[in-house]
Amino acid sequence: MAASLDQKSPNVLLQSLCCRITGKSEAEVAHQFQYAVRVIGSNYAPTIERDEFLVSEKIKKEMVKQRREADAALFSELHRKLQTQGVLKHRWSVLYLLLSLCEDPRKPSPRLGSYGALFAQALPRDAHSTPFYCTRPQSLALSYGDRAPAPGGATVVAGGPGALSSTTMGTSGISSLGVYTLNGPSPTPQSLLAGQPPAAGGPAMGSRLAWALPVGSAPACALAPPSSRPPLGPVSLNRGVRPRRDGDPNAEVTEAALVRDILYVFQGIDGKYIKMNLADNCYKMDAKVVLCKSLRDTGSRLAELGWLHNKVRKYTDARSLDRAFGLVGQSFCASLHQELKEYYRLLSVLHSQLQVEEDQGVNLMVESSLTLKRLLVWTYDPKARLKTLAALVDFCQGRKGGELASAVHAYGKTGDPQMRALVQHILSLVSHPILNFLYRWIYDGELEDTYHEFFVASDPNVKTDRLWHDKYSLRKSMIPSFITMDQSHKVLLIGKSINFLHQVCHDRTPPGKITPASKSADTPSDAAELLWDLEGAFQGKIDAAYFDTSRYLLNVLNRDYLLLDHLQAMRRYLLLGQGDFIRHLMDLLKPELARPATTLYQHNLTGILETAVRATNAQYDNAEILKRLDVRLLEVSPGSTGWDVFSLDYHVDGPIATVFTRECMSRYLRAFNFLWRAKRMEYTLTDIWKGQMCNAKLLKTMPELSGVLHQCHILASEMVHFIHQMQYYITFEVLECSWDELWNKVQQAQDLDHIITAHEVFLDTIISRCLLDSNSRSLLNQLRAIFNQIIEFQSAQDSLYRSALEELRLRLQYDEQKKTRETQGEWGVTAEQEAEEANRVREFQDTIPKMRSQLHILTHYYQGIVQQFLVLLMTSPDQSLRFLSFRLDFNEHYRAREPRLRASLGTTRGRRS
Amino acid sequence: MASGANANMTAVRETMDVLLEISRLLNTGLDMESLSICVRLCEQGINPEALSLVIKELRKASDSLKASDNSTS
Repeated sequence: MAASLDQKSPNVLLQSLCCRITGKSEAEVAHQFQYAVRVIGSNYAPTIERDEFLVSEKIKKEMVKQRREADAALFSELHRKLQTQGVLKHRWSVLYLLLSLCEDPRKPSPRLGSYGALFAQALPRDAHSTPFYCTRPQSLALSYGDRAPAPGGATVVAGGPGALSSTTMGTSGISSLGVYTLNGPSPTPQSLLAGQPPAAGGPAMGSRLAWALPVGSAPACALAPPSSRPPLGPVSLNRGVRPRRDGDPNAEVTEAALVRDILYVFQGIDGKYIKMNLADNCYKMDAKVVLCKSLRDTGSRLAELGWLHNKVRKYTDARSLDRAFGLVGQSFCASLHQELKEYYRLLSVLHSQLQVEEDQGVNLMVESSLTLKRLLVWTYDPKARLKTLAALVDFCQGRKGGELASAVHAYGKTGDPQMRALVQHILSLVSHPILNFLYRWIYDGELEDTYHEFFVASDPNVKTDRLWHDKYSLRKSMIPSFITMDQSHKVLLIGKSINFLHQVCHDRTPPGKITPASKSADTPSDAAELLWDLEGAFQGKIDAAYFDTSRYLLNVLNRDYLLLDHLQAMRRYLLLGQGDFIRHLMDLLKPELARPATTLYQHNLTGILETAVRATNAQYDNAEILKRLDVRLLEVSPGSTGWDVFSLDYHVDGPIATVFTRECMSRYLRAFNFLWRAKRMEYTLTDIWKGQMCNAKLLKTMPELSGVLHQCHILASEMVHFIHQMQYYITFEVLECSWDELWNKVQQAQDLDHIITAHEVFLDTIISRCLLDSNSRSLLNQLRAIFNQIIEFQSAQDSLYRSALEELRLRLQYDEQKKTRETQGEWGVTAEQEAEEANRVREFQDTIPKMRSQLHILTHYYQGIVQQFLVLLMTSPDQSLRFLSFRLDFNEHYRAREPRLRASLGTTRGRRS
Repeated sequence: MASGANANMTAVRETMDVLLEISRLLNTGLDMESLSICVRLCEQGINPEALSLVIKELRKASDSLKASDNSTS
């Protein structure tokens, strides 16, 4: 027998079961078999939890309740044995079945105090149900909801067991039972229960019969099974007052019937008189029912509770299986369930009260009876709660995650303390997963947010080099309203810092060391407490974690990755802060850079760079920094010289690259390019001045040149003045000021973001003040033109000196020749030679006006550009640029020439006064 | 192979004994054969709730049949 645990089809098994229990042949049990197949088929999914432990606990409890502690112990022993054998796959199922069939052997008629009996009576159509249905009233509404409108409603008392058998057993075709019980109860109930030793259905039916029978029906007493309660005789007499004419639609409905009805409506099940009206979406009293107005009114008022219950129920049912709804949503549903459970508890109390009353009908209509008015009072609080829940459910429709928490939080802002307590309780449950996310994030940097409920979002496509900038972002809609924007930014930053440390800095310090206060094992009650004290403890926790993590990150960056040193290196090399090095580099590079750009080779320039480093103070710099210094050649355009394409470069990688991003570096290079040009002008002008000083004495012997030279000197000093003022402006107004600001900010920075922002601001300032932004393009063009004029002037002066010096050399040679011949006693010069010399001198002197005019044009052109530049400076919105124009035109030299300058100066002065 | 099947058999038998004992403790009124049928049904994933319902109905039906037999005879 046991060996035949083979896979027969369930139908075959069922059939043999039918035969076995009824003791009939297969043909005879055909009806029962059909019924069995249908019941099994329609109730395929169990409404109970598949938990073996729970079931076994229930069994033990049941035994203890029956005062059979010894048996309970024996059962646990057997259960343990069963578990060790492991032959069965669905142990819980078997156990549950046994439990369902369980009967108390010592109490053949479990009448009073037993929920089972109470509910078996209250819900006749479920008379067959086990005590477990009754202890879990919500499963009634669920599993038998489809049968709710069965004609055997609760109040069909007259129909009694007959109605029961005709509804539940209708398909089996056995209607004789109902006939029999109605006809005359001559046989004892015991005979009715033959073959089924202690049956639960029997006594329940009996009692129902007892009070269902008409007035004065004496045999009713005989039917009543023995119990501790008072004899039923007078009860039925009393009950007789109630008109039992439910079949008659014109009869007035009693209040007790209505109470019964209402209790069903409370669970969302249609009653006999009060039904769901789909058109109006509310419970309505049947208009045909005759009822006094006040009862009707109270009844419909109470029925609202059922509607509210349905609403909440529908929401939780729809959501609780939806996995994508997320953890926050699940905990919201769980909290709603909790509230509903409370509500069901109340309902079951009401039910049992009703039952007890109907059993001990003596006190009916006297003291403790259930009336609609009482119900109204008793359900006042639950109604308020359900109303809040229903409103909450409405408001939370379609929200999830942090959004849901915000919605719940918004409902907590009410003046009603009870409602607030309710909402806050729900909120503490709802926010618990969020706070869990939060602690995981700020203490471990881990984001376990499968359903996108947390307000920090992570983009898995972003590589580690952009981790700080792009990887993590705030999901604005998911920020719960009890967390401020500032806090959420900090939260984002904390986790980001931890991830940055781990992934980019490869720093493997355990999170516990960064934030000593971290205790990630926060219990729900902790979360609830935090919620009450958001300003204090929560803020403190976030602040502490923020402070510790950020400081640790900055320490790592400074100590291991020399962030500040790199920052200074940028200034020294790319922004030309290291003067001696730049000057020396320019000296060394000058011959190379004068050549066309196409003939330049990177390796040559790199060698020169190294030479320059070794020869200057730069050699004492950190090797880590020097090895990052490199030469870069910009894109070569036809005709450009080395000066145009040369650029220093600084290699950044790893964590440092987060501060010095690619955009930052390109801006640094642009700034370098500009500064390098300006520096070159200064360098060129120094050369010009040097030439003038050296040649001044030599050329004194040529008085015809003095005019031209004077002109050169004037123009050169004009240019020197201009470039000096420009350099002053660049060095002091632009670089040093911004650098000082940056340095202060970096020193005070609390987190990496502060440094990055300060650095961005620094670069922005430099770029715009160096006229490199798009607004000052015209200014920059003017400046470029001025620089070009300087270069042109240099070449013009060079050629002037070349020809002058050549002439000088020839003249000296001529004099020398004359002298040597005189000492040799010959004629100093022949007439021919003299004529030739005079001719040459005249030729040279003829070129002088040409030079003069060339210089004149240069001067004129240069001054024109400078004037234009000044005009542009005057109209610039940047104050420091207007000050520059004052500096450049300090003695009002240009103002005297340019009427536009005068006008604009006048207006600015007028505006200022 | 045969010994394995044998061991399996004894294990199954023991399990059934234990279950029968539990059933007796709980006073379910199932005999060995009904119990084994029920266990097999449960093992096939039948909802125990529904099964218990069916058994009760069957019992009630057979009771009422017997009762009516009595009354008619």
